[in-house]
Amino acid sequence: MAERQKPPTLSLEKRVKSFEEVKGTYPPHQAIAEAARCLFCHDAPCNKECPAGIDIVKFIRRIKTKDFRSAIRTVRESNVLAGVCARICPTEKLCEKPCSATELVKPINIAALQRFVTDLEMREGIKLPKKAAPTGKKVAVIGSGPASLAAAAELAKAGHGVTIFEVKSLPGGVLTYGIPSYRLPKDVVMAEIDFIKQLGVEIRTDTPLDEKLNIGALFGQGFDAIFIGAGVGRPYFVRMPGEDLNGVYSALEFLSQVNLYQSEEKKEFPLRVGKRALVIGGGNVAMDAACSLLRLGAEKVHIVCLESFEEMPAFPSEIEFAKEEGVEFHPRSKPLKILGDSNGMVSGFEGIGIRWKEPGNFSPSNAIPIEGTEFSLEVETVIEAIGQGSDPSLAPILSGVKTTERGLILVDEEIHMTSREGVFAGGDIVNGGDTVARAIGEGKKAAEGISNYLKSSIKGES
Amino acid sequence: MSSEVNLSIELCGIKFANPFILSAGPPTDDVKMVKRAFEADWAGAILKTTSVENQVVELVYPMMAGLDFEDKKLIGLGNIDLISEHHIDEVEGRVAELKKEFPDRVVGTSIMGAKKEDWQTIVRRLEAAGVDLIECSFSCPQGSLGEKPGAMVAQDPKLTKTIVGWVKGAAKRAPVFIKITPQVADIVEIGQAVKEGGADGITASNTIPSLMGINLDTFEPYPTVDGKSSYSGLSGVAIKPITLRVIAELAKNVGIPISGTGGATTWQDVVEFMLVGAGNVQFCTAVMRNGYRIIDDLKDGLTNYLDDKGMSSPSELIGRTLPKLTVHDELSREYKVVAEVNRKTCVKDDLCYITCRDAGHEAIELDEERLPVIDEEKCVGCGLCVAICPVWDCVKLKKVEKKEKK
Repeated sequence: MAERQKPPTLSLEKRVKSFEEVKGTYPPHQAIAEAARCLFCHDAPCNKECPAGIDIVKFIRRIKTKDFRSAIRTVRESNVLAGVCARICPTEKLCEKPCSATELVKPINIAALQRFVTDLEMREGIKLPKKAAPTGKKVAVIGSGPASLAAAAELAKAGHGVTIFEVKSLPGGVLTYGIPSYRLPKDVVMAEIDFIKQLGVEIRTDTPLDEKLNIGALFGQGFDAIFIGAGVGRPYFVRMPGEDLNGVYSALEFLSQVNLYQSEEKKEFPLRVGKRALVIGGGNVAMDAACSLLRLGAEKVHIVCLESFEEMPAFPSEIEFAKEEGVEFHPRSKPLKILGDSNGMVSGFEGIGIRWKEPGNFSPSNAIPIEGTEFSLEVETVIEAIGQGSDPSLAPILSGVKTTERGLILVDEEIHMTSREGVFAGGDIVNGGDTVARAIGEGKKAAEGISNYLKSSIKGES
Repeated sequence: MSSEVNLSIELCGIKFANPFILSAGPPTDDVKMVKRAFEADWAGAILKTTSVENQVVELVYPMMAGLDFEDKKLIGLGNIDLISEHHIDEVEGRVAELKKEFPDRVVGTSIMGAKKEDWQTIVRRLEAAGVDLIECSFSCPQGSLGEKPGAMVAQDPKLTKTIVGWVKGAAKRAPVFIKITPQVADIVEIGQAVKEGGADGITASNTIPSLMGINLDTFEPYPTVDGKSSYSGLSGVAIKPITLRVIAELAKNVGIPISGTGGATTWQDVVEFMLVGAGNVQFCTAVMRNGYRIIDDLKDGLTNYLDDKGMSSPSELIGRTLPKLTVHDELSREYKVVAEVNRKTCVKDDLCYITCRDAGHEAIELDEERLPVIDEEKCVGCGLCVAICPVWDCVKLKKVEKKEKK
């Protein structure tokens, strides 16, 4: 069997100096060669792993037979954010994981093939699919991240009127403010959001919900159902001495500024990026923060995290990516304190090696410091990327919606309805933080739940 | 938009939901399987060749051998299969059952007989059962004609005409197609015999007698049946160019409806078959390799293609290439092209250089950057380098002014 095709990629020297997208798109001959490696299994295991429900084996077959139009349609009908997912989906953990070709050579590069298809599509403009006749029903969607966008698009296709309420000035949530552009260029995000708008979805940005404009008020305004896809917007902090020093940021704030900085060229970067910087955390967000620091001019970037390489929640490919760029890892280490100079600026960091009290439990309370393994780093910037939780300011909006202790919304797993009738939820605000693909899958599932709910209410009225 | 494309076609008065049908072979030898194929949306099926009771069919196994090339599996498939083990008694029941359950699908049956009475009996019984189309196998490479092993009816124009007459004498309703072999000196002569005999159409064409290969350790030929083998019928991608030529010759010179078969694998192949004159296209090896499900790829691919071309029906394709086919003498001697290398996409594999040096006109040199440079004086524009270059969009032919010979 032929080798797995590697898409064109920026060289290491080039890529660490800019926010330009690192991975390129297959030229057609490479796409066809990669598609031809597919064995076209009958009971295609890849299909079962796609949270967005793309018929993967079908679109690969269409590429192989050079029917790119059908390939585009196959991908697009299941995933309104297919171009986004082609770039950031952890395919090695999902569709590519059970690929039958793995045993022969390597799994099919499904992400690169999807990228090829969606890039082709964007060159010509995304074609609108058929929409159902208007139902006369209205749905409010809170938040405009992946779960909300997927839900909104499906609801619009089903013929419902959809309005998204977004607190920020740009739609997209984590896609716009979180993931840096060298992994996910913003024109791709905006093209897919434009497509969703063309489906008839209205997006009201700079529109925070509050006690006045809460769920009850939305129902009062004539919305028949509500979807909450507000994400998890409150960053966690380690809570250690020195966090109030100048130069300590949450990854959420930092990456948000990175993305804004990218969108408005020549502006001076508003946060303090020293020559030496530290990121605390072992997830993808930590990797994104570390590699963004390098691109902003940091000469040395450290990552300190509780987990070992095998235990880190970041995708192996993302860890590898950061290692390639020269990020220095300090795994199985616990932060102790941030040091400052006389001007209140960050000047250093102290940490200590750990072992786990109870195996398999990676929570900070389970970490036992190992005496004698204390270490210190000289850094001018510290970014904390240890996770996010539900934003407490959501509480007044969520009257009648049951949540967990952490503020995550409880839903029926099948239809994604919350404890309050007509209110549905999905994405990170429900699952606590997972992949974009999962959020899309949940958004789609909730949209189906909402459509069925609205159908039964239509029947009920007649 | 694609909604305007309608894939249905008509051939000899029979309406097909699309141009894709299953040819007589293993995928059509079981009624349950054919039902699945119809459910998948194949427009029709030619049930595997049947005969009368007194013709005992004893198959041998293994009967299949693949032709591979480098890392590509099954670019051709050889078989030493025979006709169906199911005789007319059983097949007539199947025809009736399929027509009842799938009235909008075309049910054809491939038939074969030893004598006039057999041919005619089968035809009458199939028509009574409701068959839509009768295909006569005059070309199974494993069969025998009289005393000559391996000889086929369709290699003998006189016999062909006679038997077509018998079949047409019995067939009152269903169109009769004759499936011929490409293994003849003059395909047009056979085509004319079929036409003169009164057949309604030709199925072009059958597998090609071949020897699939030999085991280098045991010296036993493939497929090996207890140490020995016989010649196989070759099908699949490898024979497509031969089929295209056969269809084109018949369409140009005989003028008879043609059902194309032999090596079609993709929707692009279907377009090509139709461009040289086929009215529909039959599939067997492609299904043996990838299953009935390929119908989805075929339908979508052809629909999008026709839409791109601004056509609404596949029948608009039929014969469009025929005026562009001519005899060698008539090809322009004024036309001059030379090779041109895209220095940006060249990956420096030197393949064009090697082939031109050792099998062309020594017209390519490598410069100090190891990039090929074409000597336009020496280059005759033979096209070998274009055929060999592994990079898309690298070596091309460009038209140039022809210089007067001194």
